[in-house]
Amino acid sequence: MESVAKGDQRGASLPYIFTPHPVIGLAPEILDGFIVGSDPDTGKPVIEEIIDTLTKPVTGRESTPEPAKAKAAAAPQPLLEPDTEDNLQRLFYERGWTEGLPIILPTEERVKRMLAATSASPDDVVGEFFHMDVGEMVEYTVRHVAVVAVMAGARPEYFPVILAVASTGMSSLSPSTTAFASMLLVNGPIRNEIGMNSGLGAFSAVNQANSVIGRAWTLMSICWGYAEPKKTLWSSQGSPLTYNNMCVAENEERSVWTPFHVDKGFKADESAISIFHGWGMINSPGAASHRTLDEELSLEFGVIVPLHSAATIVIDPEIARDLKEDRGFATKQDYCKYLSENIKIPAGQYWKTDYIDMLVASEAYKGVEPYASWKKLPDDELIAPFHIPENINIVVVGGGVSPLWKATDYRHGVSVSVDKWRA
Amino acid sequence: MTTEPRYSVMSPETGIRRSKSKPPPFIREPMPSKPDFASRLDTLENKTIYMVDIGFGGGYNFMLQLEKWFNDNMPSVTTVVRRKPGMVFMDDQNELWEEAKEKGDAVVLGVAG
Repeated sequence: MESVAKGDQRGASLPYIFTPHPVIGLAPEILDGFIVGSDPDTGKPVIEEIIDTLTKPVTGRESTPEPAKAKAAAAPQPLLEPDTEDNLQRLFYERGWTEGLPIILPTEERVKRMLAATSASPDDVVGEFFHMDVGEMVEYTVRHVAVVAVMAGARPEYFPVILAVASTGMSSLSPSTTAFASMLLVNGPIRNEIGMNSGLGAFSAVNQANSVIGRAWTLMSICWGYAEPKKTLWSSQGSPLTYNNMCVAENEERSVWTPFHVDKGFKADESAISIFHGWGMINSPGAASHRTLDEELSLEFGVIVPLHSAATIVIDPEIARDLKEDRGFATKQDYCKYLSENIKIPAGQYWKTDYIDMLVASEAYKGVEPYASWKKLPDDELIAPFHIPENINIVVVGGGVSPLWKATDYRHGVSVSVDKWRA
Repeated sequence: MTTEPRYSVMSPETGIRRSKSKPPPFIREPMPSKPDFASRLDTLENKTIYMVDIGFGGGYNFMLQLEKWFNDNMPSVTTVVRRKPGMVFMDDQNELWEEAKEKGDAVVLGVAG
């Protein structure tokens, strides 16, 4: 953390004082020890530094290093020197371009085959991202994404989907100290054209397209610089979901409701990808024979409390059928409205969820409703945390073998077209 | 077997394509070359110190213990523990800063986690 604070030029001259980290959740006696103990950065007692900083001239910290622009200014070298397969695999990993699993080496021939799978020109700009090493926005082209697609093991027919993901500019990895995870959903005809799995075992490690497209997003994010420890990678535990980002197709054929991309304004015969981000997922252990699905979800969302009413619930087609045919929810939106009105948790449970306190309490203080009213309630008063039913996403995935679901606090980030990237 | 792979050309080693776009908002903020600090105090005796938690987890409890240290060891110091009212990651509210300027002599700002 010290290096981050001092490495940010905006705060370079501020008088920082550090305690050991982390601080959150520690007993008062331990915090007392931090106050009289030493600043791990300077070795001086923290309390003495606080008093000195308030009573002596401020000198700030040492000047911060400039971003590594010299490194970036090196002449491009599009091809590596020939070497053995083993050495090249190691080189890609050691340079921080992979997650460590073997890659398909991106030879010119393989990249060329990938590029043939799109109508876009190799030098067309797909997007841009902020590059931490050079401190500037950096563009990436179709060719750049093709290199990553090859590395991930993609067949050329997957490339339009991967380009669509790249076009969002959204990383699957997060620099947060928490354990963010992402989900990538594919809708429309391309699901079946490239053999994606939306049915039996759709989230399992059994389908090449699901596995590889999800992995390509992670490799892309790594190449964008989102996996440098103590620079852009801070999550204490990380998340195993980032290996392929829950990449899956929706089972539109067995769903009784509209496909997700149609909910987001696309035509049913268009292909689109949708991106979701969040922290928590509860993988349901089985049927809800003693409690209804709603009762189960009510318990689960008391644990993964919705932030700004956002959640993504992935349900088996059998559950969707039951909700429509037996319980009368004609549309997803009807069920979301029902959940919004009927899932309730105690106000105290809501506000004592750290990320709610951090990210929502400020809105309550500003008078934003319903948060301002919820903030005034006794801890045991029930609130309906899904106050915006439109922020609940329902996706139908699975083989209809058992009524499984996944409850997540994931919010929908964006949905974009795949078709514009097709050959 | 040898092979000639391409670089992952998104990496700095391979040369990059700089965009004309500005960095995202959290990067774009002006960087003060020399912040305008308040004058330092001669002593903390009989002064008022605002101890401000920005809202990141753990900060408020730390400030309570800092307040306790001053109560135990420098009782002439008046301490005011407050949570910054705005969004945790943004400097979007001025009321507390104005209050600290008017009623306080110094501020300790805490970032926890």
